[in-house]
Amino acid sequence: MATQENVHEKIDVVIAGAGASGSTFAAVLAKAGKKVVLLDNGPDWEATDLISSDTWGRRIKPAGPPFILEGKQVAPIGYHGGWGVGGAALHWFANVPRLLPNDFRIKSEHNRAHDWPIAYEDVAPWYDKVAHDIGISGDAKAEELWRPGGRPYPMPPMKTFRNGEVWLKGFAANNIRMAPAAVAMNSTDFKDRPACIYDGWCHVGCPIGALANPLVTYLGEARKAGAEVRAWSTVTRVLTDPTGKKATGVEYFDRDGQKHIQPASVVICASWAAQNPRLLLNSATDKHPNGLGNASGLVGKFIMTHFTAVTNALFDEDLEPAKGTIGGQYMSYERYAKTAHKGAFGSTLLVCGGATKASGLTGLHNARPDLFGAELAAFMKRGSRGFARYTAACEEQPKIENRVELVSQKDEFGMPLARITHNYDENEAALWNANLEEGMKIGRATDAKDVWQVRTAMPAIHLMGGTIMGTGADNSVVNSFGQTHEVPNLYVAGPGIFPTCGASNPTYTVFALSLRASENLVSNWGSIAQ
Amino acid sequence: MDKLNALERRVFLKGAGMGMLAFTVAGAEILMTPGEARARAVPFRLLSGDEAETIEALGETLLPGARAAGVAHFIDQQVSVTPGEALLEARIVNVKPPYINFYRAAIGGIDKASTARSGKRFAALSATEQHDFIDALRQNKIEGWQGPPAGLVYFVLRSDAVDVVYGTMEGYESLGVPYMAHIAPEKRW
Repeated sequence: MATQENVHEKIDVVIAGAGASGSTFAAVLAKAGKKVVLLDNGPDWEATDLISSDTWGRRIKPAGPPFILEGKQVAPIGYHGGWGVGGAALHWFANVPRLLPNDFRIKSEHNRAHDWPIAYEDVAPWYDKVAHDIGISGDAKAEELWRPGGRPYPMPPMKTFRNGEVWLKGFAANNIRMAPAAVAMNSTDFKDRPACIYDGWCHVGCPIGALANPLVTYLGEARKAGAEVRAWSTVTRVLTDPTGKKATGVEYFDRDGQKHIQPASVVICASWAAQNPRLLLNSATDKHPNGLGNASGLVGKFIMTHFTAVTNALFDEDLEPAKGTIGGQYMSYERYAKTAHKGAFGSTLLVCGGATKASGLTGLHNARPDLFGAELAAFMKRGSRGFARYTAACEEQPKIENRVELVSQKDEFGMPLARITHNYDENEAALWNANLEEGMKIGRATDAKDVWQVRTAMPAIHLMGGTIMGTGADNSVVNSFGQTHEVPNLYVAGPGIFPTCGASNPTYTVFALSLRASENLVSNWGSIAQ
Repeated sequence: MDKLNALERRVFLKGAGMGMLAFTVAGAEILMTPGEARARAVPFRLLSGDEAETIEALGETLLPGARAAGVAHFIDQQVSVTPGEALLEARIVNVKPPYINFYRAAIGGIDKASTARSGKRFAALSATEQHDFIDALRQNKIEGWQGPPAGLVYFVLRSDAVDVVYGTMEGYESLGVPYMAHIAPEKRW
């Protein structure tokens, strides 16, 4: 490893992480004339790297991430994480349900968990703006069954397929209203990006840009506006001045082990809910002995995930399961009330109609993990025609014991690894079971010949929390813009700032919050930048 | 991004779609499928003969066709490249690199347990015995199991077998499912 550090010229903004949140900040700030550099620890992926293959698609995911996973339901890192420019949003499913008003006031309404320091109405305009920035297909009017009105989506709903349509009978029989799923995919040509061709390979990256990954949305805009992306650059510390009140830049290492210092007027940590706490904790100084932004002791705390209750079914009809998109065709907030299920607490979002490929983690074979040998081969034959599934995505309540913390073992750059501890409790188990029971009722009300569920383990998806927002340093790490309470020119972006997580897929909210925060930063640049 | 017409979008990447990997033959890197590598008896890079034999027997028990599809050559090639290049399911279920350590521990555990149960390595068991062994492995019911978590071993090796049998264009064809690849990249693979 080289010993001499390379000190770069001071810039306006340095962003650690070129995924969904970092790209959004970069686009807004670069377009406002700021000199922006994004640092990302992996390759600089291009659209041509996004191969239509579950096997080859693993290359855009982390390999040996610097986390030790503990707990009964370990944090979702390998499959859900990103590696390289574009981050996890390079392979996201692009489902874009919103959080609803009840998500922002759980403490006030139920005396549980946290309130957000902002309301749905503060975020709603940004949801609408993101929809028109990146392109969302759906039926906003239909969603008004459950949420306040807003702008229509810029594109009509996506095409539907039999593998989604077959569930409608089951939902109707259980008085569950469905709406076209909102997805960040093009149902028509949009902003020089082509319409989707429904080949179902979204989850390994969409090379034509019909799905709104960062390369063709905010990151592309940022680059056009002059933002610089430095791939293979691993940020290890946020640097502060001797007073501890001002961030001065970051320390990072390139792939050759060369150490760099990038001074900046504003530092934004946008490295996902797992890495941001690790970075803040590793940035401790005498003025911040427990890590930056950690006077509250809450950096790394309240890690949350979603869990899914999946109902599988086989039909006699040829449903062409591999066709469509990996995102849903239909969705419903009908069970989104926190007390929708008796004896359990938390929201549920219902989604059906995702494409099922032959291999990969979400592949057909994993719908029957108990089968192997000739029985597996027979199931694959039958399922390739008649398989369909629907997913109930459920909300976990924040628990301080679910956390990210540093350990003594170090990575190749001398940065301590982090341990992520994550467990569900009885409430989550109750919500999961309630949704599985309802799932069987829904499945049996369809024309399916066989309905089943895999109940061996509660899955954990979507990592959130760890640097939660709140009203002050006594109850949180950042404010509603992601600005740390203790170091005003240091921001945290991404799902880590959610104080509660609802049941909706997080990335749409990540985009909305990042857009809101970055525009606020531009408006208040003079008082924030140092 | 320039608009692409439907035909251009459908251009298929032969190499990746067919599951081709770079194998070393007579000192030269040649693109071929793991099944072709097996048929040509391409030497293993890291696996020993016994280890490869166990993997082939495991693969064939988990999914018929995995042996001929080259499951051992697939794993051998993948554990010999850097973790960032690896295409293994192990990568995304948080197995710590280098991945060869996981496979060696898994194979060692299986052969040790098989020998303790039946006096024979896994590859030497009858088909019925192999089936029963895997059934016990997946349920974590191997007495005195020593190795990575048995359920994880089952999951990862089963996924490897599915990758080589069904995860390619040929595999999709065998299931009667259109592969529908998106677009050919201009470089790599």
